[in-house]
Amino acid sequence: MNRTETSPAPMIARRPPAQVMRLSRLGSLHQCRLSFMRILTRRMAREGWVFTRPVFDVDRAGVGHAIYTAEGPERSYSLVAFAHDLPDAQRSDRVIAEAWDATFTLFDGVPTEDDIARLRGNVPLQEAGRVSERELSLSRANRSVRLWAHVVGALATGQQPDAGMIRDVGYLMRTTAVYGSGKFGAADRETIADRPEMQAPFQAEMLSVYLTRAFVRDLVEHMAQVQGGGNAVRLDPDLARQLGIGNSTGLGMAPFIVNHPILFNNWIMVREEAIARVRSLEVATPEAVGLFRDRLAQSGMSVARWRSEHPQQVAKLAALRGDLETLTAHVAQGGLEGQNPWNSLCLWAEQTLSEEGQECLASLMLEPYPDLVDGLESCMADTLEAGFRVNGAMSVAELRDLVEKSFGWALETNWDAPENCARAWYVSEEKLEPRLGERFEEPVAEYEQPLAPARDATLAHRALAHWDGAAPIADFLIKHPEHRHAVRRAQIAAIAPYGEIHDNTIAADVMPIDMLRAKLSFFGATHFDPRSDRWVRICMYAGAPYPDALTTGNADGWVYPDPAPGG
Amino acid sequence: MSLSMGEVEATARKAARGAGYPWGFADEAGRAARWLSVRGVDGCAALAGLLDAVDGADLAERSPDVTAGVWTAPHAACPLATGLALSDRAEEAIRGVRVEEILAPLLLMPFAALLTGSARQTVTLSWDGGTAVTDGTGLCLDGKVLARAPWVDLSPGGKMDAPAEACHRAQPDPRAWGRLNAFAQRTYAPATEASRRKGAGADATDND
Repeated sequence: MNRTETSPAPMIARRPPAQVMRLSRLGSLHQCRLSFMRILTRRMAREGWVFTRPVFDVDRAGVGHAIYTAEGPERSYSLVAFAHDLPDAQRSDRVIAEAWDATFTLFDGVPTEDDIARLRGNVPLQEAGRVSERELSLSRANRSVRLWAHVVGALATGQQPDAGMIRDVGYLMRTTAVYGSGKFGAADRETIADRPEMQAPFQAEMLSVYLTRAFVRDLVEHMAQVQGGGNAVRLDPDLARQLGIGNSTGLGMAPFIVNHPILFNNWIMVREEAIARVRSLEVATPEAVGLFRDRLAQSGMSVARWRSEHPQQVAKLAALRGDLETLTAHVAQGGLEGQNPWNSLCLWAEQTLSEEGQECLASLMLEPYPDLVDGLESCMADTLEAGFRVNGAMSVAELRDLVEKSFGWALETNWDAPENCARAWYVSEEKLEPRLGERFEEPVAEYEQPLAPARDATLAHRALAHWDGAAPIADFLIKHPEHRHAVRRAQIAAIAPYGEIHDNTIAADVMPIDMLRAKLSFFGATHFDPRSDRWVRICMYAGAPYPDALTTGNADGWVYPDPAPGG
Repeated sequence: MSLSMGEVEATARKAARGAGYPWGFADEAGRAARWLSVRGVDGCAALAGLLDAVDGADLAERSPDVTAGVWTAPHAACPLATGLALSDRAEEAIRGVRVEEILAPLLLMPFAALLTGSARQTVTLSWDGGTAVTDGTGLCLDGKVLARAPWVDLSPGGKMDAPAEACHRAQPDPRAWGRLNAFAQRTYAPATEASRRKGAGADATDND
């Protein structure tokens, strides 16, 4: 790369929150170089992590346990997997399930036999069990009944499974909740946050899923061996590589991005910064354009395999497929020539493509520029929020300005109109999980969680209307303690401008899956398949090398399908 | 029982909400319980005692009049309301404040810690029979912990000797932990068949 490419003139600003933080756009985000799975696999390859399977003790019924250890430069982490014999009737991805095909924990270090005995008594129970500060995550997975029996049956008779079915389903097991950060007794984020390999968000959870995928491949081969004996064959490595781990994500994830405004800001702002850096480049070298066009073609293949029956996603997918064709043609016709080519392309896309297409492009154009982008991964964690203190000396006028900046769009909303407050977020007694209720049809309003920041900011703003602008906000808070959380958020927004969603999270037509997708896209998920307006299936690590094949050469680009035939 | 600090904070937050505090206060109750627990003090017990005492009370009756020389509330002051008032008025509070009739005064310490600023000057809370000193990070507690104090003085300075080592886990008094969970329970909506079906949106099959 020449000098003009690596030294961007800081001339293109980041896109404003008012543009980026709309739910429809957040619900159209795609994985990129900064996705947490890719951060993890790049690091593990770069540092030469060593992977072993010290235990695989699973019987002929598929019951037992296995241990997968990942050894980094300073520390080891072990996935402890328990395999169960689950009756079909009990298989459910819902959080209300009480049994699963497999359950997991990520152990901090290498577990002893005593640890395994303790974990065996707890991990299979999931929420009903307890783990300890030695554990970093707790998760479970169910088989895809569509694919599991087919793969076991084929391998048992010496055949490879049908490549079309592998492509259509994409995974042998689906995880549901992957709990970390102190849940159910696990270690707090603070105990691992200082470790370089855990500094970026959700690295423990991403590692647990990465190792889970290796376990699932081993388990399906084991079951084929049990069934077929000498006739059984191993799964073809190319087919195995196409298999990811599925995930069913429900509403539990939606409040997270509202409850962690600084963390969410950091993810979005870092991606926006990366986009702005690339848009600021004066020229694109032929090498960069070539790589971009390759990735674009590969994205087209990935999108072609993306299945959903959800009407909204079906429409979005149709638009995206058209967008990628339009984009490919535009670039082929010189769309990346001239000054500030990436910026021109983005401006063209804003006029031409759907939000799915625009965000796919925004992620894709980061691919040729690891030197500009990858260093930003160290800015994605949150180290500020826990210590954030409301500044009581701030004037009422200044606070009002902050509210207007983040929520100006909401201040004219009639928050009493049924369509604007039709929904209420609450936590159910049953599984202590967030749910979304109908405020005017169910008795949930008195249990409402503070997950409508725009409404609450508007109420605070109205209460502030008749206050002297010079008065300190501390005086207001003495009289109006009920507005403290809104005041705090407004002050946080001053340092975290991308921390607030610029849409109504309790509207009659809110689509919680947009919130889920925003978060999952940063994990690096692909093939979002909404199953209703409030839960979504995704695929993780499809295409990734297994631990025994991970190299610096394949640690990053795996998310893009092989252009080879049948790949 | 060995709890993560995340569990302490989450349960304390919900408990405070369950006892009637607004969400902004509930957030602070969670942080305060965690702050004390990390420093080896049973923040859950302190909070449970407070919630039992103020359950259902009008917050205005428990908030100190900060315009007076000595801060007092119509009824025994709430340490969360008082602590937040200290933190919101950091500049004047750091010069020293006396509060009369206050519940669970130890819960002021997480807020007092916010007054220490980047210079890490120390702040001391004293009451009849005990003191607590913080430099913002550490905590030195000496003497008897009170459920209710006739008076407390917050003053700048104080000597930090041998602050407790930071704890990664909490072992709260089981009865207090039970109380917090009972208060937290009030924030959960009873499950109905409709909410089970619709609330989490499981329209499509999840076993395929």
